[in-house]
Amino acid sequence: MNPAPPTLGAEPQSPTARRPRLTQGLLGLVVLVVLAFVLDVALGPVRIPVLTVARHLLGHGAAADTATAFIVHQIRLPKALTALAVGSGLGVSGLQMQTLFRNPLAGPSALGLTAGAGLGVALVMLTGGGGASALAVRQLGLAGSWALVLAATAGAASVMALVLALAARLRDNVVLLIVGLMVASVTGAIVSLWQYFSAPEQIQDYLLWTFGALGGVTGPHLAVLATVVALGLGLALASAKPLNALLLGENYARSLGLRVRRSRTLIILSTSLLAGGVTAFCGPIGFVGIAVPHLTRALLGTADHRILLPGACLLGAALVLACDCLAQLPGSQITLPINVVTSLLGAPVVLWVVLRRPIRAAA
Amino acid sequence: MPNISPSPGRAGGAAFPFLRRPSGWLLSLLLASHLVGWGQARVAPPGAPARPTRLGQAAAPGRTTVQYAKGFRLAYAGNYKVISIQNPFAPQANVVRYLLVPRGAARPVGYPDAQVIETPLRSLVGLSSMHVALADFLGAADLVVGVGSFKYVSAPRVRQRIAAGQVYEVGQGKELNNELLVAHHPDLVMTTGWPGEGVDHFQTLRAAGVPVLINSEWVETTPLARAEWVKVLAALLNKEAVVNQKFDAVAREYQRLAALGHQAAKKPSVVVGLPFKDVWYVPDTDSYMAQFLRDAGATYHWDRTKAPSGSLALSFEAVAPVALGADYWLQTGSLTTRAALLAQDARYAAFAPVRTNRVFNNNLRTNAQGSNDYWESGAMHPDLILADLLRILHPELLPTWTLRYYQPLR
Repeated sequence: MNPAPPTLGAEPQSPTARRPRLTQGLLGLVVLVVLAFVLDVALGPVRIPVLTVARHLLGHGAAADTATAFIVHQIRLPKALTALAVGSGLGVSGLQMQTLFRNPLAGPSALGLTAGAGLGVALVMLTGGGGASALAVRQLGLAGSWALVLAATAGAASVMALVLALAARLRDNVVLLIVGLMVASVTGAIVSLWQYFSAPEQIQDYLLWTFGALGGVTGPHLAVLATVVALGLGLALASAKPLNALLLGENYARSLGLRVRRSRTLIILSTSLLAGGVTAFCGPIGFVGIAVPHLTRALLGTADHRILLPGACLLGAALVLACDCLAQLPGSQITLPINVVTSLLGAPVVLWVVLRRPIRAAA
Repeated sequence: MPNISPSPGRAGGAAFPFLRRPSGWLLSLLLASHLVGWGQARVAPPGAPARPTRLGQAAAPGRTTVQYAKGFRLAYAGNYKVISIQNPFAPQANVVRYLLVPRGAARPVGYPDAQVIETPLRSLVGLSSMHVALADFLGAADLVVGVGSFKYVSAPRVRQRIAAGQVYEVGQGKELNNELLVAHHPDLVMTTGWPGEGVDHFQTLRAAGVPVLINSEWVETTPLARAEWVKVLAALLNKEAVVNQKFDAVAREYQRLAALGHQAAKKPSVVVGLPFKDVWYVPDTDSYMAQFLRDAGATYHWDRTKAPSGSLALSFEAVAPVALGADYWLQTGSLTTRAALLAQDARYAAFAPVRTNRVFNNNLRTNAQGSNDYWESGAMHPDLILADLLRILHPELLPTWTLRYYQPLR
């Protein structure tokens, strides 16, 4: 199920007739995101009436009720904003990867960025965890959240540098995909090796990181995450035209006058910022990057990236917000790891889209 | 759950088999009366010896009785002893038996599945730091010839022996260095595992004739029950007299302090543990930590919440309202400073214990290797830990006590 030619062939014939429908679709997605956002802030392990939540959000909360104010402002609002950034970032980067590699299974992890971030985190958490040097680091407070973010960023960035350097030399995108998979495989093996020689409590810390978490990203962290994602989204929107051209195949795109290598660098840079930033702050969050592009294409019925990119951005945000609502298991004191919920939900969604296609083609 | 619970496996049981069942009945009644009379236990005068202690004093010379622990039983018969390790939550499930036979004596008849260990041990390999603590408590640190990892040893005597090259390192689990163990052939390898777990993982060692004993002290729900596992090693070393004297002293002191804690007029509220992003693991009702808090006269929000694994995985949002208004915050991971705590998450600054500087961590005795003695010698000294907690939560009750395991975050 290559996303490319069939719909694209139909596209240029009636661009004006389809435009209003697509705009409506995007507007519908905006409404969906707003609803999911409100729902995510309203739901949680602690039952707070929706009106009270709204009053706190508007700054009219009762001054005496510090616990509710803390929950709304310090826990739920940052978490929903993080979900927004994570969803839009992963959705868009997944779309870029699927088009660049012309592969429906590609996602943000295809370039090995997630694995690189995991390697960085494992380096901090697992190696020398009990050693004197690591103890000194811990006492300096560097094991705080910034250390993890910096380690994950460094890991993702070094993989990105490697992929970019190779991308400049390689003509073939498939080889690049293989490089990404191999990088992921090698880093995975190194992390397993470290786990093997680590104390159980260190492994537990690392496992908790791999479950992914939307919580705990507040204040300056949230500002940095939002900036990185905004930057990545800006670059992604600028890559809409090259992506459309790439759908036709690299040679054709080249004959259209596209500077393929420069566009490829732009796309990889954008994806690295999005996927690397999200993984650094929230850990690996699976399936959003693979599922959202398929859903967006199915929903909007277009292959034009000028529409698909904002569509994936909105749908990704709505999906992660919805997953976060489910992860909180309303009425329970327990929160499920977000990575588990997105994968549980994402895999059937991808299956549904894949199985639906031939039926539609036959109709 | 009361912290005083006579074990069904009394020493008298094996010597007088006919008494076993009736005495079990009597003891259940005793236990039931404790459950009912829990409120009265609080008003007992400080210093009054608790009933189980008297049971301990009644032990025959050269024998000891199990008073608190539910995960193992100890029986004496003829010239040998039988240790049965069981799951206290499913006593009928796999019970693993070890026969403690004097060196050179013939294997007793019966117990076809039991593993034979020759006593007294002349050498011991302890895979967890708890096992080092057991030996150290009995004054048998010099018998420790091997440990799981050098990193996790705090006992000064064993550290000296490590520095002198008299101790070898054998690893854990899958990494267990079987060749080294077979070559040194220690009298016993003590490891940690599930109650009732067989020694199937240790086929190589068994085939080489190295006995393996699986300790599961972590299933116990009270600090004294956990510490009482030292009696397993005492039986293996024929040090019953030592353990009766030393453990009873610990238990008596613990009961005395617990009475102080129960009597405290104010019960300050406490949150425990350090969250990681969304998840905050807190001890449940059956954890020994919850028992410590009960005995230290604290109010603990999840005192009656049960979890299958001994700890509850709660969302940050579920714990935050409690932490916001708590009086004290205990056990904050490996952190030692307030700045490091806030570096993990700036939102902690809103918690009352952080604002009032009432955050205490249990890592005062962390050595240069990063190993925390709280988990080693602390496991054998619940009395000292309880004294620390009382000093923290009720400074007026123990005004002269100097903290041994806990320290305030700077």
